[in-house]
Amino acid sequence: MIDPSSGPFLFDTSAESWLARSKDSHVRSWFGAYLATHRVHVSAVTIVERIRGYALLSLRAPENRKDQIERARIAYLSEIGRVWSLDGGVSVVAGEIMALLPLPPSPPRKAHQFIESRQERLVRWRFDCMIAATALVSRMTLVHNNAQDFESIRKAIETSPERFPTLGPLGLIRCNSLA
Amino acid sequence: MKASRHQKRTRRTTLTLPADSLLAAQRIARARKINLSTVISEALSDGLRAFASAERSEQVLRAYQKAFTGFSEQEMLILDGVLPDSVSERR
Repeated sequence: MIDPSSGPFLFDTSAESWLARSKDSHVRSWFGAYLATHRVHVSAVTIVERIRGYALLSLRAPENRKDQIERARIAYLSEIGRVWSLDGGVSVVAGEIMALLPLPPSPPRKAHQFIESRQERLVRWRFDCMIAATALVSRMTLVHNNAQDFESIRKAIETSPERFPTLGPLGLIRCNSLA
Repeated sequence: MKASRHQKRTRRTTLTLPADSLLAAQRIARARKINLSTVISEALSDGLRAFASAERSEQVLRAYQKAFTGFSEQEMLILDGVLPDSVSERR
């Protein structure tokens, strides 16, 4: 178990919602203890992904559902933690990661009646690179729910330390191993 | 005389405390060579801080619950930044 007070941690987009939605009592109590001592730190990219998600759901929702989506969006924004912007340093590091790993290490997501396009997969991969860069520059451990993508980034940083002077290693914790 | 910036305003009051807590506080006061009021005041401050943190934590968890409740697994993927072809095409 990771000591919740050893944070703060940067949370990847899907790790944030995974923790918030977990019904596991250990996870819930870990997250509660974390929130008692730290804020949830996220990259501005997470806000982009999240708000784009709410907006897309709202656009295709029937009229009687739009209110519920809007209330959820407002609730999300009302208690937002610390948002790390995509500043000069983060942009430089993100660019370096994208150059080392131009293509996503895993195929587009496929689930029941759900196929992600190659173009969207590439966008999501680039967003992940920006989130990893934010964690590296802010020197925070990244809590994630996507081992394949973030482990690839961690390895690339480790094998090319000259591209990331004074930075690294990228600290990673899989969200299901927190509690 | 004006109180200094770091001096906290104090008020005298009477409290009924559990005997064992009072004894423990007196032991701490003796060991640290400070008065009983200071020990009780520090313990109260710590307790209130912990209470405020727990309240804050509950508030954030409630907001998260509202933010992510009522969505299907597919909708949650969209909220997490994973867009299916059907959604991309509608833009």
